[in-house]
Amino acid sequence: MIPGEINKQHPIPITSGRVKARRIIFFGSVLLTNAVAVFWLADLFWTEGNHRAHVPLLIIFAILNGLLVLGSYHAFFGAIEMSIRKRHAVSIMRLAGEGTANLSSRYAVVMPVYNEDSGKFCARIEAIYRSIKATGHLGSFDFFLLSDTRDLDLWIIEETAWTNLCRRLDGFGKIYYRRRRTNDNRKAGNIGDFVRKWGGRYEGMLVLDADSLMDGRDIVRMARVMEAHPKLGILQTPPKLIRGTSVFTRLQQFSMSIYGPLFIRGLNYWQLSGGSYWGHNAMIRVQPFSDFCELPALPGREPFGGRILSHDFVEAALMVSQGWEVWLGWDIEGTYEEAPPTLIDHLKRDRRWCQGNLQHLWLIFARKLPLTVRIHLFMGIMAYLGGPIWFLFLAFGTWLAWDYSHSNLTPLPFDGFVERWFGIGPTEQGLILMTAVAVLLFAPKILAVVRAVLVPEVRRSFGGILAILKSALIETFFSILFAPVMMLAHTFMVLSIMSGKAVGWGNQNREADGTAWTDALRFHAAPTLVGIAWTVLALEINTSFAIWMSPILAGLVLSVPVSVWTSRTKYGIALMEDKVLLTPEEFAPPEILHLALHAEDAVHVALDAESAQRRGVIAAIVDPYVNGVHLSLLDKEHAEMNSVEEALAIRCLKEGPDSLSTEETGRLLYLLPAMLMAHRGVWLGNEDEIHEVWKTAIESYRIRSLS
Amino acid sequence: MGVPYKSLETLRELGEVELQEWEEAYATVEAYLCSLRVRNRLLLAELVRRILWNASARRAIEPEKSARVLAIEETLREIGDWTQEVLGEELENRRLAARGRLALLLAGMPDKWQGVFLMPAPWPEAFVDAMRKSYIAAGPSFAELTMVPRPLELNVLGSGAAQWWETMDRRPIVRKMSAAVGLSVIAGLVWFIFFS
Repeated sequence: MIPGEINKQHPIPITSGRVKARRIIFFGSVLLTNAVAVFWLADLFWTEGNHRAHVPLLIIFAILNGLLVLGSYHAFFGAIEMSIRKRHAVSIMRLAGEGTANLSSRYAVVMPVYNEDSGKFCARIEAIYRSIKATGHLGSFDFFLLSDTRDLDLWIIEETAWTNLCRRLDGFGKIYYRRRRTNDNRKAGNIGDFVRKWGGRYEGMLVLDADSLMDGRDIVRMARVMEAHPKLGILQTPPKLIRGTSVFTRLQQFSMSIYGPLFIRGLNYWQLSGGSYWGHNAMIRVQPFSDFCELPALPGREPFGGRILSHDFVEAALMVSQGWEVWLGWDIEGTYEEAPPTLIDHLKRDRRWCQGNLQHLWLIFARKLPLTVRIHLFMGIMAYLGGPIWFLFLAFGTWLAWDYSHSNLTPLPFDGFVERWFGIGPTEQGLILMTAVAVLLFAPKILAVVRAVLVPEVRRSFGGILAILKSALIETFFSILFAPVMMLAHTFMVLSIMSGKAVGWGNQNREADGTAWTDALRFHAAPTLVGIAWTVLALEINTSFAIWMSPILAGLVLSVPVSVWTSRTKYGIALMEDKVLLTPEEFAPPEILHLALHAEDAVHVALDAESAQRRGVIAAIVDPYVNGVHLSLLDKEHAEMNSVEEALAIRCLKEGPDSLSTEETGRLLYLLPAMLMAHRGVWLGNEDEIHEVWKTAIESYRIRSLS
Repeated sequence: MGVPYKSLETLRELGEVELQEWEEAYATVEAYLCSLRVRNRLLLAELVRRILWNASARRAIEPEKSARVLAIEETLREIGDWTQEVLGEELENRRLAARGRLALLLAGMPDKWQGVFLMPAPWPEAFVDAMRKSYIAAGPSFAELTMVPRPLELNVLGSGAAQWWETMDRRPIVRKMSAAVGLSVIAGLVWFIFFS
């Protein structure tokens, strides 16, 4: 069997012939449409006479239009699948059946975290735990919080949050917490470490992000599919965005919610068992993951070589190349995540993803990868190379317009092929071609809105026709403004990566607290200046060209105010109150969202490492309970300390924790005898032997009790 | 309450300095008990007084130690002895301290068993059970799998590019030369498009 293909005995009723036919139809349509458009533009250029910009423009147009057609056809095919071919829909989730029998294997729910808000991620774990418990299958699942947190205060807070969570849920022996001492190979290394240590206990692992939320019923169904289909390697779910409060997140949330299903169905139309993995909200079969998915190092150093940043696509590629199937569970509803709250946060995340995806260029040249895998990798790369290519297209277009406006050339006195065949003049042809491109650009949105309006249950779920139309118009308006900013940002990202600048591993800002004007000015200075210069140039060429370019130029020139305005939660909430940009999950919140909202088991007054006077590391030393929890999680083998370690503990007591470097504090926190000594020392030490910070921490207990 | 007390009549007359010292000792012991989330003020006061009495008795034998140190030593010792008795297991002193504190927390002493804390036996069975079962583990027993990266097999084009790329990484001169060639090609293209 060809890796990634499906044979006739496959539990999903689709033959490999039909799979091939689907792929040929899909990509054939894309190629044919693009070829026609490129030929048409070439014909138009021909009638305009010879210009040096024509060849580069045609090449760029072929790539850009190809990407546009590829994107739009996902929506077209998705729309066809959703409306006409409902009965023939291929869904892996059908294998879950309706049974309620016990699961025969064990599964792990793993959540890698990195400097996150532990109260929030514990709330999500609590919600998922309760949701699975409600299905009656909790016994088949264990939960792992896999911390790679580098902030030492947050590490201690995570330990206390986890302990409180386990205390309240009676989850000891069911919910586990471990922190890696060194975070080698980032998130992929974190998951890999879990697999190496505990993977042998589990058939599958549900990989989550710190902001993921999933319904227990769907998790159990995914486990059932894993059991029904032993060749299934990865089952990816399509997460929906939730909990957005800033305008930016609300726009993203709405667009994902209304347009997303079309693209998802279109994707499933051709990828089938040769799908991809998006890094979270997916169930992975552990054994083949351990056998094949340890990531190879790429040739050379970062940013292009070295460790693979975007590990998910590659893990799916390795799995499919070894004959395992990777499916998209498009009909799984209870799967959620959160989006970056501001445009700036979104672009910062994009910088990491951009570098990771460009590294995939190497894999395009790897042997034994099935075509679907190469297509996924190519689409990922072009998601970021598309920006600079579009920029070049506009730059060449501007040059062409400049030359035309500053010369008195007229079209050549002969007809192009299209004019001869269809009798349409060059001006009309230009307009038709432009309209065709615009249709391709906006068709997914139009199709999604039409579907939402026509299908009663979808219409109701979005709050009715008026709410849908209002929201879609606002979303379209802002997406037009965002697009050129993204284009230029991606161009700068690609240039910075090409100049050899690697990106670090930052934690993601998930809270919408707004962008300051000064930050926005600094961050968007380049697009604003480019926009102003381009506007002057466009006006210099002629007014009609400036009008044609205005959507792009407006996005660039207004990038600062748009970025600031869309980052504000007060406007987002105002829109929400006006029932604009609301999603079905907001009109009728599913149970899992309620559970997450009301989850507070990670907070308890008895075990608290977040008080102002004794936060994190200070609490780990002063507080008898926090110290006790921390010590119980340390390696018990390191029972004695040497003189250097003792000196470290004494310095911490005398000069305070700030006198230690982060590395020293980290070392101290791992030393069981030193931590015990420090705890006793704080309480037993004379006034002049301990630093003021400890005295304040001790005093804070009395203040609390007396108040 | 059941806490053994001693009459204030037995208290000898203290000077201002000593009073100040014992005031500090009181504050520290109270803070420690508060840090264990003993919130009931009556219970708190009784426990502090009992500990301070014991500490003051030691003062006569160990005059070199400050009242504060004696008091907190007495607190830790008393908690240690009592915890060991409740847990019913022989633990090395240091481990006992951590294990005892953890057990108090996990058994829910601050929420449910404040009245039992530091009281002599017999203790409620549920409390003793809860204390003895109070362990936490960061993970289940290991069930290891191996993950070995397989080398990336590149096709002819990819292998050539990788070799060139790695050479550039190793030898800065090759990198500089490649950059110079690349820039020259771009400059040539720009010249060809705009000026030829």
